Amino acid sequence: MFVNSLNGIIYGSFLALTSLGLSLVFGLGRVVNFAHGVLYALGGYFFIIFLPSLGWSAMVFAPLVVVPLAIAMEWLTIAPIRNRDEIYTLLVTFGLSFMITGAIEYLWGTETTLIKPPVIFQGTVDILGNQFPIYRLFASALSLVVTGLVFVFIQFTPVGLKIRAITDDNEMAEALGINTRWLLTSIFGGAAGFAAFAGALGAPIFSVEPEMGMGIIIDSFLAVILGGLGHLPGTAVGAFIVALAKSIGGGYIAEWAIAVLFLVVAAIMVLRPRGVFGRGRIA
Amino acid sequence: MAASPDVENLTPDASRTRSREVATQVLLACSALLVLAVPFLGASPFFITLLTEALIFGIWAMSLDLLVGYTGLVSFGHAASFGFATYAAGIFAMNVSADFFLSTAVAIIAAAAVAFLTGLVVTRLSGIAFAILTLCICQVLFQISVVWRSFTGGLDGLIGVPLPTLFGREVEPGEELYLLTAVSLIVCYLLLRRLVESPFGKTLLAIRANEDRAAAIGIDVRRHKLVILIISWMTGGVAGTLFVFLKAGANPMSLYWIESGNILAITILGGIGTLFGPVIGAIGFIFIRDQVTTMYRAWQFSFGLAFVLAVLFMPSGIGGIAERIWRRLWPARSS
Repeated sequence: MFVNSLNGIIYGSFLALTSLGLSLVFGLGRVVNFAHGVLYALGGYFFIIFLPSLGWSAMVFAPLVVVPLAIAMEWLTIAPIRNRDEIYTLLVTFGLSFMITGAIEYLWGTETTLIKPPVIFQGTVDILGNQFPIYRLFASALSLVVTGLVFVFIQFTPVGLKIRAITDDNEMAEALGINTRWLLTSIFGGAAGFAAFAGALGAPIFSVEPEMGMGIIIDSFLAVILGGLGHLPGTAVGAFIVALAKSIGGGYIAEWAIAVLFLVVAAIMVLRPRGVFGRGRIA
Repeated sequence: MAASPDVENLTPDASRTRSREVATQVLLACSALLVLAVPFLGASPFFITLLTEALIFGIWAMSLDLLVGYTGLVSFGHAASFGFATYAAGIFAMNVSADFFLSTAVAIIAAAAVAFLTGLVVTRLSGIAFAILTLCICQVLFQISVVWRSFTGGLDGLIGVPLPTLFGREVEPGEELYLLTAVSLIVCYLLLRRLVESPFGKTLLAIRANEDRAAAIGIDVRRHKLVILIISWMTGGVAGTLFVFLKAGANPMSLYWIESGNILAITILGGIGTLFGPVIGAIGFIFIRDQVTTMYRAWQFSFGLAFVLAVLFMPSGIGGIAERIWRRLWPARSS
């Protein structure tokens, strides 16, 4: 039970990082990005590809490769349909996620790869009588730090102010001279970078396989809806709720918990469309 | 969603419109005859089985077209209609009776009941929210099918569903099951054609064009959405029933959200708002997937690419283009 919830918290800190990007992109451009999960998967793959030659700095380089890819994606497929019904972004990004998963399987095969954590983080630590891998704690702490940095960036920098302005009222922000087009593209790239970083950081914990993005995207959606679309602190809390629901009890009970979780999220969408905290936007 | 294909802004010449209608009827009758004649043209058993699956997907895609194409509701949980029916029909056929009509009736009624419950909630929403909410509800059914092992067989699904019987006689797999599927497809098509051409169908188009305005002229939008959702799920239920008999089993993966995305892509590639387009999309999908995956590993990539390109550049799909060409062949006005 204790180990389960600890694992839940660790998954939650990764989920917070991926949901954050999803939430930001929705808040800014009302783009529902189904392809966010495969960007996370790409991060994991580029990481294990760079690892032999670059060592652990690959964790930084993998996201740096994914960011331009994501920007190209946004520029080629999402920007041209910005004026159409919002539902088209959902369709296009779903197609993209299919494409990229297919490309991963084509290029790198369907095997699951689990790599060992770096030497200094190997081994376990004793927590209340349970042996727990050090790397998990380190990775979880690091992703929480990055999540915190994103909050600080959004809350305390001029660019963050513009982002919040667009999230509040897109047209008014544009009238005040904010280049929403450019900001959306860069935030899309940034969000992709964080997702890719999560994928790389999680590679020694959750392993790397082609479908990994398809799994995490649904959990991220749940987290974003629970917390309120576009509301970042809510999204982070939502991520931990989802992760804990999936892990506490483990196995059989967790499967029921997930069913209940989907029902709860469905109820929230109808009854509290602004999320648990009532601060998000309505889809 | 897409621009309405039904509006003719030129004054139609009555006799020419009439001749196009006749031509359309003749074309449809010929296609129906061709579909029914396939087993007698010396097709291989493998081809027949594949085509059976394709036509089943055709019925399913047609049912999704009612929501996406005719009402403008993009459902990301349409696997629910199909998958739920596979379990309902499968469990009924295994435990009570494998009579085709009875099993279909049970699956349709079960699907309608779940659609009604779902509809009470989802009809409040539209657009992205509708898509995500339907996805959530479909995942609830998926989780239940995985967890409730004693009833659904868990991840293994149902195994050993008997062959259907028709008027007390067992339907043989292969040609007979194919003919049963083909007749079901034709019946579904004709019924749905009547539905979308009825005043009810035209009202749906009004809702698709603009929900708020439709409500403003006195249309009960929520009730119409509920009714079309139930009809759509019932049609999906027919497809699910045939599928469980074809595969002699049901699998929880038919309820997984990616399956919903698949059928949505098939429907949109085929051409929403045309009814026949999604059937063409389904046939194309099943055949290309089956012929290609063995030798061409980039199939999933190509399917995704085709879908992205279709959404970007030809949202009316294959069916929409075919319809435009057809109109060109039989112009409504002499020019």
